[in-house]
Amino acid sequence: MKHVSPLEVAGETRVKVPTRRALAKQQTRAKVLAAARKLFSEQGYEGATIRDIAAAAGMSTGAVFANFSDKSDLFREIMSTDMAVLAEAMREAASKGRNVEDSLLKTFCAGYAFYKSQLPLARAAFSVSWAPEDGQVLRNMPPVQSMLDQIVEQHNLGVQRGELSQEAEIKLRTQMLFDAYLSNYPQAIFQGWSLDALQARSRDQIRIIMAGARRG
Amino acid sequence: MKADVNAHPAALSARQSQKVATRERVLAAARDLFDRLGYEDTTIREVARQAGVSVGSVFTTFTSKGEILSQVMQDRLDGLYTELDRVVPHLRGSTADRLRSMYAIHFDFEAPRMRLFLAHIATAYDWTLPATSRPYGRTPRLREIIRDCLVKGVEAGDVDPAVDVDAAVELLMGAYAWTYQRAVVDGADSKALTAAMDRQIGLICDGLRPR
Repeated sequence: MKHVSPLEVAGETRVKVPTRRALAKQQTRAKVLAAARKLFSEQGYEGATIRDIAAAAGMSTGAVFANFSDKSDLFREIMSTDMAVLAEAMREAASKGRNVEDSLLKTFCAGYAFYKSQLPLARAAFSVSWAPEDGQVLRNMPPVQSMLDQIVEQHNLGVQRGELSQEAEIKLRTQMLFDAYLSNYPQAIFQGWSLDALQARSRDQIRIIMAGARRG
Repeated sequence: MKADVNAHPAALSARQSQKVATRERVLAAARDLFDRLGYEDTTIREVARQAGVSVGSVFTTFTSKGEILSQVMQDRLDGLYTELDRVVPHLRGSTADRLRSMYAIHFDFEAPRMRLFLAHIATAYDWTLPATSRPYGRTPRLREIIRDCLVKGVEAGDVDPAVDVDAAVELLMGAYAWTYQRAVVDGADSKALTAAMDRQIGLICDGLRPR
């Protein structure tokens, strides 16, 4: 008889049983997140309540709270998932840029294209972003930092390729570019600007911000 | 018969003046509470209590706390824009200098209530805000003032005539708003705000000059 240590048996059962439970938990989380995404988009961040989210997901508020500590936790989870995907899409888009300004423009446009089909959710996110504490939490999320890092990298590449001068104020420009990127969203949210219009506006703004950094 | 005809408008105007009085009382109470407690911690119930009206009558005049804030800020900013209309024509120097002076006036005006100004920006995204409200970003006045500064720069020769003025106006609008955001987080004062904005104006104006 082959010797099986009790440790291995325990290890096996430990893996098996929680997997099923973890799967159920994962499905519950996914259901809550889908319902929350819908309600944040329809009612805004302030208007959506945990009770409504639970009802839409077909479960009790207790079941929601078993998975998320509060509404802002739920919202953060949605935003961080989306923005991680977006940060990757931006990196991909920027890699096709012909030069610094073109890469920046492609980065911006990847963002506008991503949110174009879910502007109400973007609107809810902006509402949260202007609250002093929650806004800071959003801005400090790793995917947002990754977007800022990408802009810095694009500058560094520009300097290496000799497109930008060594003295380009990269930190200030990065922050201003990101602010400009965000500031164009209201045109899409409230005035129905098309992707083309956002692209044209961004191109002009990137040109203005980068003009002083160009070499020669 | 004649008395009947007159009675109706008279009754209406009495009701209307009642409504105006309620509105004024609510706005005065909200102004005070927003300044003392901040926007987030001010409740409609407390506004109603201090104004000496019922919660119900607050809601017959305003649809939400966001709308009250928009009106409070609008009234305040009217004062600021009157001041700017007086000062701006006398500003001299480069486009960057004129923009810097104009923004310094803004920061001095708003710095004591920075968090309230952030709430003012946030209400722009408020679902319950009626279309008639004018939160930050939907006020034409600030854009006009910035635009005039830039157009004057084109005439003076330090702004490239080929430049898209509206794109530059929006850059400045965005820089202004986000600078507040960072200032509140960092606990910056009016001087630090002005310094941060001055650098951004410098960079933007450098990008606008003819090449």
